[in-house]
Amino acid sequence: MVIWDHIGMWVAAVLTIAIFSLLYRDNPFYRAAEHLLVGVSAGYYVINYFYASVIRKFAVPVFQQGDLWLLPGGILGLLILLRLSRRTQWVSRYAIAFYVAAWSGYLIPSVIQERILIQLQGTIPPQPGTVPWDAFLGAIIVLIGVISILIYFYFSAPHTGVLGRISQVGITFLMIGFGASFGYTVMGRVSLLIGRFQFLFQELPESLMNM
Amino acid sequence: MTTEARPSKTDAARPRRPLHDWLANVDRRVIFIAVAVATALPLIFPLNLPIKTSREARAYYDEIERLQPGDEMIFVFDYEPDLMAELDPMSIATLRHAFRKDIQVIALTDYPGGPGIAERILGEVAAEYGKTHGTDYVFLGYNPDYSATMLRMGESIQATFPTDHYHTPSSELPLLQEADRYAEVELLATVTGSALAEYWVIFAGGSYGQRIIAGNTAIQAVLIYPYFQTGQLSGFLGGLKGAAEYEKLIGTEGAGLRGMDAQSMAHLLIVCFIILGNIGFVLQRRYQRRLEREQDGGAKREQGDGVKR
Repeated sequence: MVIWDHIGMWVAAVLTIAIFSLLYRDNPFYRAAEHLLVGVSAGYYVINYFYASVIRKFAVPVFQQGDLWLLPGGILGLLILLRLSRRTQWVSRYAIAFYVAAWSGYLIPSVIQERILIQLQGTIPPQPGTVPWDAFLGAIIVLIGVISILIYFYFSAPHTGVLGRISQVGITFLMIGFGASFGYTVMGRVSLLIGRFQFLFQELPESLMNM
Repeated sequence: MTTEARPSKTDAARPRRPLHDWLANVDRRVIFIAVAVATALPLIFPLNLPIKTSREARAYYDEIERLQPGDEMIFVFDYEPDLMAELDPMSIATLRHAFRKDIQVIALTDYPGGPGIAERILGEVAAEYGKTHGTDYVFLGYNPDYSATMLRMGESIQATFPTDHYHTPSSELPLLQEADRYAEVELLATVTGSALAEYWVIFAGGSYGQRIIAGNTAIQAVLIYPYFQTGQLSGFLGGLKGAAEYEKLIGTEGAGLRGMDAQSMAHLLIVCFIILGNIGFVLQRRYQRRLEREQDGGAKREQGDGVKR
């Protein structure tokens, strides 16, 4: 490891502890670390987006390689910047309209196919005997869950009688779903804490030993 | 300066704090310290708790295992430094598995914050297995607009990425001469903390029939299960637990396996806090009801005394 790596690790350790200090209460060390993160991130992203989009994808192909097909796209991109003036902001709508139309055109059919039609197929249970019994049972539960939740979100009739009882089943499925989601969220947050602790208790001492 | 006398610790007049009140008002800093201790101790003193492999992690492993030496695989670092703790173990384990089987890797990222992570992990794992950039693997870098990138890669990877991350023209990279579109690539693996796994399914899987596996953060895993159930995803890993299961399957110990003891202890503690919080809630409700009954009874007695007089 070179000396700059060691310095980097120590800066990271100090900043980690500064961010953790918020758990006790708000303080200047936390504020300094937070502002540093926001400032560095903003600078990094502006430069990165500008280089990746304007230089690499537009300026180099057009001005160095003579790919003039990219010019209309570049002009549309420039039109969006006209939003900065109140007098000319209406012109930017043409660029946005083009972008929305193109995005919708290639996204809507694919989303309908992959997110709706294939997912609907996935709720149809297979024939008994063609799959293991636990997979069949799982498919039946998925079907009951989908139907009951859809009925819960059907608002054109009062949720009384049979409709009310089915929507109660739907609520139960929703609650199980939210519970699973919450459990996974806790796992995700704890993982981030573990990552910082692994850095503080394992990587940092190793770096000290290698100095 | 105040001259008020401090109350004595042995002041008998001070009322004792009821249990339900204590449970309902635990200082959040006590919870933070308890979680920190429960997480830190197993990292310092490992417990080596057993880990059971899930069906989805096994499917993820099988998808790479069935590839032959020389096959090509696209690997996408779809995350940024905020998710390194959860997703780095998956990326490292996947690349170790791929390089160990002599699979050629075409790496890229859909996030501007991804190249730093990708360069570090690719460099470390490639050095472990003696792989060279250009022939055994390539890193194409970051390309803006993920949807256009995903769609155009189905036609030509070289056209989508005219140069790699190090400004070498794609036409000069030997690996890209063998594999220039999805049809020439056996598998696509994405490691992500956002909905990008779904978009790979929509654009690369739906439009081009590409086989896809995904490593996801725990939060995203819930949304990914339906795609695994329908077969749109051939396998997936969920959170640090998924990474640990996969590390166990490939037989290498990484940050995933090392972190699972801490994860289990922290979860156990959180479950205890949830149970204690619920006990406190129930006791407090009972206490309030008893108080209301006593107040109602007192009011009725007073009314009765008034009538007698």
